[in-house]
Amino acid sequence: MAERKPLIRLLAALALVALAGCAGVVTRGTTPRVSQLSGGDDVFRASQDFVVAGLDAEIAGDSALGVSQYERALQVDASNPWAYLALARHYVEVGEARSALAYVDRAAGLLESLDLDSPGARLHCDGLRGAALALQGRDREARVLLDAAARGAPAVWGDGQLSAAELR
Amino acid sequence: MRLLGWGVLAASFTGGFAVAATLVGLDRQVRARFEGTQFRLPSRVYSAPAILYPGMDWQRFGLRESLMRLGYRDAGSATDLPPGQLVWESGRVRVHLRAFEHPTRPEPDRDIVIRLRGSKIADIRELPTGRSMGAVMLEPEPLGAYYGPVREQRELVVLDELPRYLIDAVLAVEDQRFETHPGIDLRRIAGAALANLRAGRVEQGGSTLTQQLVKNFFLTPERTLSRKLREAAMALIVEARYDKDAILKAYLNEIYLGQRGATAVHGVGEASHLYFGKPASRLTVAESGLIAAIIQSPNGISPYREPERAIARRNLVLELMKNQGRLTDQQYELAIAEPLRLATVTPESGDARYFLDLLHRQLTETYSSEQLTEEGLRIYSTLDRRLQQIAARALHEGLEAIEKRRPSLASDDPGRRLQGCLVVLRPQTGELLALVGGRDYRVSQFDRCSQARRQTGSVFKPFVYVAGLEPRAAGPVITLASVLDDSPLELSTPNGPWRPQNFDGKYHGRVGVREAIERSLNVATVRLAGEVGLNQVVEVAHRLGIESHLPAVPSLALGTAEITPLELARAYATLASGGVRPETQAIEDVVDPAGDVLARRELRFERVLDPGTAFLATSLLEGVATRGTAAGLYAGGLRGPIAAKTGTTDDERDLWFVGFTPELVAVVWIGFDEPRSIGLASSVGAMPIWRRFMEDVSGGTVRGAFPRPPDLERAEIAPSTGAIALRGCPEHRSEYFLPGTLPTTFCPDGDSPESDAIHRRFLRWLSENL
Repeated sequence: MAERKPLIRLLAALALVALAGCAGVVTRGTTPRVSQLSGGDDVFRASQDFVVAGLDAEIAGDSALGVSQYERALQVDASNPWAYLALARHYVEVGEARSALAYVDRAAGLLESLDLDSPGARLHCDGLRGAALALQGRDREARVLLDAAARGAPAVWGDGQLSAAELR
Repeated sequence: MRLLGWGVLAASFTGGFAVAATLVGLDRQVRARFEGTQFRLPSRVYSAPAILYPGMDWQRFGLRESLMRLGYRDAGSATDLPPGQLVWESGRVRVHLRAFEHPTRPEPDRDIVIRLRGSKIADIRELPTGRSMGAVMLEPEPLGAYYGPVREQRELVVLDELPRYLIDAVLAVEDQRFETHPGIDLRRIAGAALANLRAGRVEQGGSTLTQQLVKNFFLTPERTLSRKLREAAMALIVEARYDKDAILKAYLNEIYLGQRGATAVHGVGEASHLYFGKPASRLTVAESGLIAAIIQSPNGISPYREPERAIARRNLVLELMKNQGRLTDQQYELAIAEPLRLATVTPESGDARYFLDLLHRQLTETYSSEQLTEEGLRIYSTLDRRLQQIAARALHEGLEAIEKRRPSLASDDPGRRLQGCLVVLRPQTGELLALVGGRDYRVSQFDRCSQARRQTGSVFKPFVYVAGLEPRAAGPVITLASVLDDSPLELSTPNGPWRPQNFDGKYHGRVGVREAIERSLNVATVRLAGEVGLNQVVEVAHRLGIESHLPAVPSLALGTAEITPLELARAYATLASGGVRPETQAIEDVVDPAGDVLARRELRFERVLDPGTAFLATSLLEGVATRGTAAGLYAGGLRGPIAAKTGTTDDERDLWFVGFTPELVAVVWIGFDEPRSIGLASSVGAMPIWRRFMEDVSGGTVRGAFPRPPDLERAEIAPSTGAIALRGCPEHRSEYFLPGTLPTTFCPDGDSPESDAIHRRFLRWLSENL
């Protein structure tokens, strides 16, 4: 029995990896980048294509086009949490806290309920929620969340911000 | 003699004064038209763009039909494929997508190859690079336009954007001395008069292009001397006041060039789209020749109805161009050899008329009626053209099937026929994807989805159960393990005692929550509403998205309040999206002719229900679809997650069916405008329409899953008592519970909780060590 245990664990680990791939969670790195996500069905992948295009547009300075691309991502797959996460990031950047909070809530809810959650994605949700709360002047609540994000991913959240390039 | 001289002088003076006054009047008219709003441009409404991606079922999407509706032409061979053309071969389609001009979300034209494998798109590659594409968008489809008193459509052009040979073609056949004459061409008039005299009838016209423009702008088509004189005078005024380019531009935008259904097509810009499916700037020499050719008689020489006559006339135009030195011999030879390749005729869609009216009502809150009919706005909507077509077909055929089944419901009077409506929302965003407001828009423009408030019957019941499931300070009134009382009930109301009855006329005693909603039991539901509190039920229904007035009376629980189908769709969308209420959106953006975005949608939603309660309510409605009154849904082979509720009002006057999947919410209503009994239950009347719609949309398999919050607890219960079913309990059913709401009683025939706890601990040990 003692000899079989590692094999069972290995199989279980493989099954988890396979499940993670099917669900479209991050495959490397602690904070997920949209362009590195794999798995998901055809609809999810097509939707992700628009999320990446939207982030590219924002990196190039065209935020209106970026938002349009995120909306197209939702047209293809309205359950894609990354599209909501990208929208939340955008609205934090343009200073619209209320919209940002609505989108980050939606992203977090979908990540959890569709079994797509990953520690890195959770960090993004916390960080973006913190940044949005800071915009509303709720500094104490914001600090807790931003600190947690910074501790979890100092390279990304160390400056208290998530750029389009960092999410891409 | 002297008196006569004075008389002549006076007459001359008077005549001269009258002529001068007339000329001043004509001049005023000319200036008003040329310097004011020259053309009234109706605003056009477009669908949401369709998106293609690898893995998509292109047959179910209707790829070929979509491309044809967008005016793509089959080029036959694929050597150098210009935008707007395609080549459909076995296993692949190459299509050069047109550019989409939009101020904030432009798309370049793309030459792509779509590889097909069976009914699926295998991959999409861009040429010439061969780059694989994850998704591509087709242009939004035109749905219709808001016209003023005159039903005309035109796309304005400027001369700089037009190919020179298009202008040359028009001038060659209509007015070859346009650049040099002063508005009237005496040589042409003399030539035409001579030709007509020889023929003994009117064969040629002597009008210049300026005269034609004046006639179209200001005058009636009558052939009288006084009208001709006014035409000539105004042509001279126009030429004196404006340069040739301004006149030519006005002419090319004004000239009548055919029909798109009931709509008159004016101007070379619009005609270019009508006949060739592309902007005028991209016309070839031969295509330019054809447009110039049909100016004489757009319907008589229609290339669709009279292709041979149209080609003959086109060739005459090309010959004139060559003879006048506007074409080289080589250009002429190439153009004359070009076959006639026309775009598919795309009359304005009639199936979205109710949607267009709804949009108009929304738009007039911001824009005046004149703005909508004259300023040429482009309105991009959320409508999904494919879903709209499927919805229209499902409703139409479903109503016919009901009449076939019950011939007494049929009527020869179109105004008294059985009616229905179908509305579809995307729950996560609130986008209105399809709306069919009635059976035939031509007979009745009343939109039963957004304008008709009707009693809802049992489709209201889920709001009672949501109110019962929702957490409160003292815990929820019910859980999915609760047992309700369905025994006789008498309530006192201002109208006297009220005794609710079940549909089958029987009472069912103690019933589980699931059974109560799956069988749509009235008495148990009324009793639950009383326990929850009627004001609480009203509050929950409003919070989920119902806007109509809801009287807090006991019969509310059975759907006696009057609600629109669109409101119901929104409230159920809140459940489908896990408790987040969306704002209903029908407009993506509004763009003016200068390219400025006047309005842009912002996705707005608000959490109004905790996700756990939304999930539990959805789970109950999944049971309705699996085992309850909507169990027939799956009978036709439909698979996947569906939550649904049937509703039939008193005397079977209104039949409702509300169903949702993780991606769509659709509401079907059936009834007469003047309410009368249909004599059928919802599961027989409305449900088949919903099922047909969803089968056609999904191909039989519904995608996705309803979001389940991770903090829900799961337990085995004994359905008859609602107790936790321990090992050995004779009945078991697995249910979800909000945290801290597990039943506190145990199945009496099972083991003790302690021994069961040992069993659970053993299972946990196993799971931790595997």
